[in-house]
Amino acid sequence: MSTKRDLLPGTLDMLVLKTLSVGSLHGYAIAQHISRLSQDVLQVEQGSLYPALERLLGGGLVTSKWGTSPTGRKVRYYTITASGRKKLGQEISNFDSLSLAIARVLGREGGA
Amino acid sequence: MSWLDGLRHRVRTLFRSSAYEHELREEMAYHRELDRVQGLDAHAAARHLGNETWYREEARRFTWLGALDVWRQDVTYAWRSILRNPSVTATIILTLALGLGVNAATFSVLDRLYLRPPDGVANTDDVQRVWFEHSPLRSATGQPFISEGTTHPVFRAVSSGGPRGAFAAYDTDFSLFMGSGGNRSRVRAAFATASYFDVLGIRAAFGRTYTVHEDSLGSGTNVIVLADRFWKSSFGGDSSVIGRRIRVEGDEYEVIGVLPPGFAGLDLQAVDVWIPLASIPRAHWTVRGAAEGRAWWDGDRASHFHVIFRASQTPPALDQRATATVREMQRHLQYGDTLMSVLTSGLVGAGPDKPGTELTIGGRLAIVSFIVLVIACANVINLLLARSMKRRREIAVRLALGISRGRLVRLLTAETVVLGLLAGGVATMIAWGAGTALRSLMLPEVVWYDSPLHWRVVVFAFGLSLLAGLVAGIIPAVQSSNPKLSPALKDGSRDSGSHRSRLRQALLITQAALSVVLLVGSALFMRSLDNVRSLRLGYDVDRLAFGYVSFEPGQRPPGPVVAGEMDVLARRFRSRPGVDEVARTEFTPMRGISTAKFFWDNDSSTSLRRDFPTFSAVSPTFFRATGVRIIKGSTFSSEEGGPKQLIVNDAMAKRLWPDEDAIGRCVRFGKADGDCYTVAAIVENARQSFVIEAPKLMYYLPLGNLPDGRKSGSTLIVRVAPGSMTAVHDALSAELKRAFPAADVHVSSMMDELEGEYRPWRLGATLFTSMGLLALLVAVVGIYGAISYGVSQRTHEFGVRIALGARIETVLQQVVAEGVRVIAVGVGAGIILSIAGGRLVASMLYGVTPGDPITIAAVAVTLLTVAALAAIVPAWRAARVDPITALRSD
Repeated sequence: MSTKRDLLPGTLDMLVLKTLSVGSLHGYAIAQHISRLSQDVLQVEQGSLYPALERLLGGGLVTSKWGTSPTGRKVRYYTITASGRKKLGQEISNFDSLSLAIARVLGREGGA
Repeated sequence: MSWLDGLRHRVRTLFRSSAYEHELREEMAYHRELDRVQGLDAHAAARHLGNETWYREEARRFTWLGALDVWRQDVTYAWRSILRNPSVTATIILTLALGLGVNAATFSVLDRLYLRPPDGVANTDDVQRVWFEHSPLRSATGQPFISEGTTHPVFRAVSSGGPRGAFAAYDTDFSLFMGSGGNRSRVRAAFATASYFDVLGIRAAFGRTYTVHEDSLGSGTNVIVLADRFWKSSFGGDSSVIGRRIRVEGDEYEVIGVLPPGFAGLDLQAVDVWIPLASIPRAHWTVRGAAEGRAWWDGDRASHFHVIFRASQTPPALDQRATATVREMQRHLQYGDTLMSVLTSGLVGAGPDKPGTELTIGGRLAIVSFIVLVIACANVINLLLARSMKRRREIAVRLALGISRGRLVRLLTAETVVLGLLAGGVATMIAWGAGTALRSLMLPEVVWYDSPLHWRVVVFAFGLSLLAGLVAGIIPAVQSSNPKLSPALKDGSRDSGSHRSRLRQALLITQAALSVVLLVGSALFMRSLDNVRSLRLGYDVDRLAFGYVSFEPGQRPPGPVVAGEMDVLARRFRSRPGVDEVARTEFTPMRGISTAKFFWDNDSSTSLRRDFPTFSAVSPTFFRATGVRIIKGSTFSSEEGGPKQLIVNDAMAKRLWPDEDAIGRCVRFGKADGDCYTVAAIVENARQSFVIEAPKLMYYLPLGNLPDGRKSGSTLIVRVAPGSMTAVHDALSAELKRAFPAADVHVSSMMDELEGEYRPWRLGATLFTSMGLLALLVAVVGIYGAISYGVSQRTHEFGVRIALGARIETVLQQVVAEGVRVIAVGVGAGIILSIAGGRLVASMLYGVTPGDPITIAAVAVTLLTVAALAAIVPAWRAARVDPITALRSD
């Protein structure tokens, strides 16, 4: 993959929340999860994850807790909160309507 | 609660910022480590993560630390640019501080008088004051006559409408002698019912307050409770004071308790001691208004018990019920000759008895000081605008480098906020001084124990300074953050926009207009004071000194003895150097009068009703001493046993014998066939009681020959030679002290006596004049600053002109004329404003109207002259511009 696709603004937050909706994860695992599921299409510099996490923490959408990894190292685990889940729902439906609209403009809407 | 999680997180990062940084580093390091485990080399792992430092900074921006960083930048920037230009900074801070300080001082006084509950009271919201309206009486200003003081029977009637302990009566209007002999000192005493302390929710700090039992009428116990401050100052804070007996007005009282610090009664004048109402010293029973043979608490004369009660413990609509009860009592006992209504009000605020002068003085003070602040702010905005013009290039560079406009406005406003806060600090100091001055000016008889700098005043000063800083900063900031980039970068600091100078002109006009308003106000009040001062009262006010003596209760020798002694003293004193004449009288002029029923021709004095004449008993020298002119006839022929004579004033002569000669007429006292007193002279109308009053019907009777045979005349009137007032004052004190060793000696000049009556005018004149001068000063600084800025902007132009042969006078004249033209517009606006606003102060003026053309013209000329003077210095600088330097510089 030689071209890097930029994310739409705000989508990183949504992806992080979606990833965390499965369960508590640490930063590296979140990054891995996102790039694996997108089959490396969404390739962001993984450092940008941390400002995003800080933003989510400040907004009370996720919480963090220090724990120990299987290798015995201190790791910070992130968990989604109730308002995080609500926010995720909103973001997804926003995204859906946005992508539908784009698809319509591009003339690719199913059955058109 | 999710938002709470967020908040907790933000607060934690704010207060444990190093831990936060460390954790983020750790986390990123771990990230890299795991990449390595996945098989990436160190380089690839680092690339995978991206610019770590950048992302850490980014993350920090989302925390409150980030916000704090920006703040710190702003303040540092502000501080640096403040230090860069110390003289402008000092001008701005001082100007703002003056405006703010004046407002804080005003607030400190108004807050103490009307806005703040009395210190130390626990349940301020629940306690209510009672007021009495006496119809159909009217106050001097035509408002309903409302008093707070009432009599004990009325208090009993009012308090019958609720449970016993819910009402309290007290009287703080007493200055009593404590101790005896040479150890005597005066204390402010309050006589209060036992319920007083419960109603206010006050418990003794130690010892106790008195009980209902100790306060039962007719058998009160002599106990006394001390205020904390008084206990500390007079007993050195000695806790063994409990149980000690102290002498008050000749009676012994046992100290039973000390009240907590802070509480000093409900009124402005702090109270030193509290005594049960039932234990009022015997010496004061008569003052309480007891009629002969009746207990004082049944007396029906005016007295001064204030009534308070707890709203939560009394039935609702207490005022209506109490009014009904009081009127029922009035009808039943035929008590008093007015119809009373009961009103109630909270503990905080002015109370219904003050619709008049005091409140309006307060309101005007607030308006006037606010005007000074507006002028100061206008001035500061102007200075800041001028300064930001000089920084146009810097700002343009910043904008070109991509600073956002909002950020720039913030940066520039931060500067004025810092300036404002510095000014707030200076203003607090000014408020302390000005507040003290204002207190003694407005209420000179109150002894203040608390500092004018209550914490509320400090909060007010800093809140206002923050606000002023924001207001003064935002306009120049918004203005200068929107320059057209390329000319700003090209011309540098030269001002090319005309709309900006229009804003500056508008600010100058505002300053000038408001200064005119204040100066017109001060001129009007000064002229009023002058007019009142130069009123002829009948007496030669500046030449007269009075002396009399008073005694402790029961110590007073019989009247004729005192009068005889005074007569001897008067004769001796007359030959003293510096003394022109000495007279004796019963009361000090304008401070006491007598009345008597009399008959003349076929009429009696009762037919005169409201014009009922009053008389003064005087010695024959009275007229020569006081300067009351004799229009016709001559003074009493002798003091003792001479013919029965009286002297009438002009008003009385005209009223009793219109169109006829009064001299030689007969007036009979007491009965229609009483002794005939013949009119010996007609004198000019002198004031009876007040400096400002319509002529009253007055007459004078000889001291030695009064109709009721009394022998009095124990007040001395001394006519002092010019310049000898102090010496005579001291000599008179010494003589009186020698003649009456046991007595208290009172010596005063008539000037001092009347001081209180001139006070409203003096107050208005002083306040307006000081504010007006302040405004003028600020305006001068503003005009000077604006014109010299304008000149500095046009150095180039002046250089060209001079190079082309313009003469110095032409340049000078042009610059001055431009400055004066702007101010002239402001003066015009100010004149309109002051005529419009004049109605607000019309009632406080005397002998001059708000639209007085001479006053307005004088103010206009003054301000224009000052403006011209302020313009001459920068104009001179413009005229001396060296063409070569001017053309070379950018």
